Amino acid sequence: MSLHRRSLLLGSASLGAGTALAPRSAGAADPVFVGVSGPLTGPNAQYGAQWKDAFDLALEQLNPAAQHKLQYVFEDSQSDPRQSVAIAQKFVNDARIVMELGDFSSPASMAASPIYQRAKLVQFGFTNSHPDFTKGGDYMWSNSISQAEEQPTLADYAITGLGRHKLGVIHLNTDWGVTSKNLFSAAVQAKGATVTAAEGFLPNERDFRSTLVRIRDSNPDGIVIIAYYADAATIVRQIRTLGLTQPIVAVSSVYSPKLIELGGDAVNGVHVITTFFPDEPRPGVQRFVEAFRAKYNRDPDTFNATAYDTMVLASTLVNQYGPTRAAIREGLGKVRGVPSVIFGTMQFDQTTRRVEGAQYKRLVVKDGRFTLFTGGTPS
Amino acid sequence: MSAWFDYTVNGFVIGNIYALLAVGLALIYGVANLVNFAHGSVYVVGAYIGWAAITHLGTPLPLTLLCVVVVCALVGVAIERIGLRALQGSSRIAPLLATIGIGLVLDQVVQLVWSPDPRAVPMQVPEWRIAIGGGTIGALDLLIAGIGCSSAAVLYGFLRFTKLGWAVRATAQDSDAAQQMGVDINRVNMAVFAIASVLSGISGLLVGMYYNQINPAMSFEATLKGIVALIIGGLGNVPGAIAGSLILGLTESYGIALFGTSYRNLFAFVLLVAMLLWRPNGLFAPRRAAAPEPMVGTFIARSLPVKLPRWVVPVVLLAAALLPLLNQPYLLQIGANSLMYAMLALSLTLVAGTVGQVSLGHAALLAIGGYASGLLALDAGWPVALAIPAAGLITAGLGTALVWPAFRLTGHYVSIATLGIGEIVSLVILNWTGLTRGAIGLGGIPPLELFGVDLGSVQGTYWLCLVVLVLLALLQLRLLSSHLGRTWRAIRDDSVAARSHGVGEDRYKALAFGYGGFAAGISGAITAHVYSYINHETFGASLSVLALTMVILGGMGNVLGAVLGATLLIALPEAFRALAEYRILIYGVVLLLLIRFRPQGLMGTV
Repeated sequence: MSLHRRSLLLGSASLGAGTALAPRSAGAADPVFVGVSGPLTGPNAQYGAQWKDAFDLALEQLNPAAQHKLQYVFEDSQSDPRQSVAIAQKFVNDARIVMELGDFSSPASMAASPIYQRAKLVQFGFTNSHPDFTKGGDYMWSNSISQAEEQPTLADYAITGLGRHKLGVIHLNTDWGVTSKNLFSAAVQAKGATVTAAEGFLPNERDFRSTLVRIRDSNPDGIVIIAYYADAATIVRQIRTLGLTQPIVAVSSVYSPKLIELGGDAVNGVHVITTFFPDEPRPGVQRFVEAFRAKYNRDPDTFNATAYDTMVLASTLVNQYGPTRAAIREGLGKVRGVPSVIFGTMQFDQTTRRVEGAQYKRLVVKDGRFTLFTGGTPS
Repeated sequence: MSAWFDYTVNGFVIGNIYALLAVGLALIYGVANLVNFAHGSVYVVGAYIGWAAITHLGTPLPLTLLCVVVVCALVGVAIERIGLRALQGSSRIAPLLATIGIGLVLDQVVQLVWSPDPRAVPMQVPEWRIAIGGGTIGALDLLIAGIGCSSAAVLYGFLRFTKLGWAVRATAQDSDAAQQMGVDINRVNMAVFAIASVLSGISGLLVGMYYNQINPAMSFEATLKGIVALIIGGLGNVPGAIAGSLILGLTESYGIALFGTSYRNLFAFVLLVAMLLWRPNGLFAPRRAAAPEPMVGTFIARSLPVKLPRWVVPVVLLAAALLPLLNQPYLLQIGANSLMYAMLALSLTLVAGTVGQVSLGHAALLAIGGYASGLLALDAGWPVALAIPAAGLITAGLGTALVWPAFRLTGHYVSIATLGIGEIVSLVILNWTGLTRGAIGLGGIPPLELFGVDLGSVQGTYWLCLVVLVLLALLQLRLLSSHLGRTWRAIRDDSVAARSHGVGEDRYKALAFGYGGFAAGISGAITAHVYSYINHETFGASLSVLALTMVILGGMGNVLGAVLGATLLIALPEAFRALAEYRILIYGVVLLLLIRFRPQGLMGTV
């Protein structure tokens, strides 16, 4: 009986695979596929949903005029390495897929890297800032913002922009958070200022009151937050209810319309740096923002923008260099000046396989809105 | 000095929040003798119902609360009626697993209905604040404290002075006797689940307002902290739960004060394990209270193992060995994953099924194995073929040593202690940066190879896993049929009788954990080399639950069952892949149906 049941299940597994990979719109002539491995369920599901919105928008805009119509196959990994490796096998053995995007978290992405590297399929981790991600092999590429670039910018905002010299840091205790915190501390020291305390919190924590007492007692004149927007909103609220009045400066992943929704009045006066700002007048940004608002009736955030950039890049590669895996790998090395919301234009460094030159904006929340920060001394 | 005052206030503030969760858990435990792992999910449901009422209907606070009370009471009734009543009389482990399944289903439903995006809950309580020491507390803090204390007081009165309350207590003490005296225990259970769910839902709403933020993923943390508080206060002790929560809050706060934020949960779980060891009945029970759980031999469903025709196993094995020839790498990767988890399931089925020590922290053994092998290969330059067995031995030693103090516990206490030990291992990995590289994780772990033969391809991995699994399974079958296996089962079935026959329990348990640790360590080590990158999150607490589900599904103690359970539970989510967002929901429902209709597992217990 058990044998029968088992073969039945395996049968339905391959059946499921068949339907999932069926082309989404039968009308397009000869579509080219990219595979996306990311979370649609589980604790990070919101990020997968944000990717999808941006991907759909990008393809809607690009495909009508493109020679090769691009489509994507989104497989839910829950950002779990066990599932991302199975998805990797699925993608590398699906001849139609020319490039892979994702996964969301470092453990899930990097567990799948050996499979992509062996199969010579580009794994494009657009949220993977872990310094070792692109060291997995020459098929691992990323346009995620380099923390080596971002953290000195953040330090500059706090020190020269706001004139703060004793900074208390609260950071997420993950690979991303710790890497960022170390780079930030180094940048602060290089500028002759000091980090008075650095406190790492675990994902899912909600209570920061005692952490903040530690920060308070280290006597900082500014507080720096290295976290995502949802946690940052909670932290800022608790900073203010604890009666701390120091200026707060935060990394670019804190920039999101959700920060204001979740943080309420408490986030007024919070400073953030960001690579993406919907009110930026640059035409590339405005085209994206207006289209996004028209389609989804809300403001996009940085995750949307990065995902949008990535799909634009994929379409560019396929149409400039050809719809094969080898051509994509070739193209990533050669491509220059791909239009990008985050970077202006994108090109890859040949040794790090990452993009440099993100354009940072300084923002401050004023009356419940993000506005460009104009005070301080320009660096 | 003032800082210490602030830490104390902060400890009370957060403890206050835990208390609302712990009171509901204590009530359910008191009556149903069940640690309700779905409690945090009801808390999420309450939070979202409140949010929806405020956002879509614009209800004022009393109406919002009423909505939450009504809906959560119904959810509680449904959990009892649909999920748990049918399991009366089955093994003690079945309802516990059912609550895990119900939690999974509720979380997924909330996520499907309201999306995984975090939401802001509009504050409906006046925003004035009182300065205390260096900080402030607000009206909401007082409201939460008020609801926590008054619900405990009302419950206390209810249990002491009302007829239904007497029925509840009688049911808690001896449900069979209560039934004979004419107590409708179903009604009692239903009432208790309704009350506890209401408390949980209200706390979800208030905590959502407190942090101005709710999301579907917050349920696990809530359940975990509620359980820790519950243990400190004493299982089933309602006033104790409040005190336990405050103590937990203070411990965390002082832990942060002394060592820093990243040590917070470490302190919570060390406290949990310490309590279980020294005061398993809670702080407020007399030391010599009744033995914690008189449930020897009833924790596991008895059944006869399914007898397979002799040819089945060799044929399946041959088919499995030939699977790579189909040239279906995706299928093969799922196969390799299943085999790696089957090793873990073997380990757990021995510990949980054969010896009766239901571990909820087994993922920690994977983590120890993975880190041991990864570090030996990376830092000490060992060849992979030596690092993996060495990791198995290290895990056997370290794992046994870690669980050793918990050997004198039984039943639910073992599960909760191992849950705590699992969390401690993960947090030590996170904080021991010098050895483990902390949150950055271990990258660049060399791929699988045997003395120069590259096994990094999916075929190689699959075959290696298959060989290792077959060897481990044969060894385990041999052990089970020996004197050792009989002694293990004797300990499980009647530990008093076993002891009176001169069986040194601790040593036999140690042997079981040693062998189990070896199998799980090998599994973790192979996983590390396949993934090439691991960090403290790779082997998270959800894996422990998954492993236990595999073991129950296959049949406790059943070697073939463990392998089958692992294969099914790895393959099922992949099979439902086409259903995208719905697949975890379906997985939860399938799990519940299995527990309901085949609690002894597919292959039967041994």
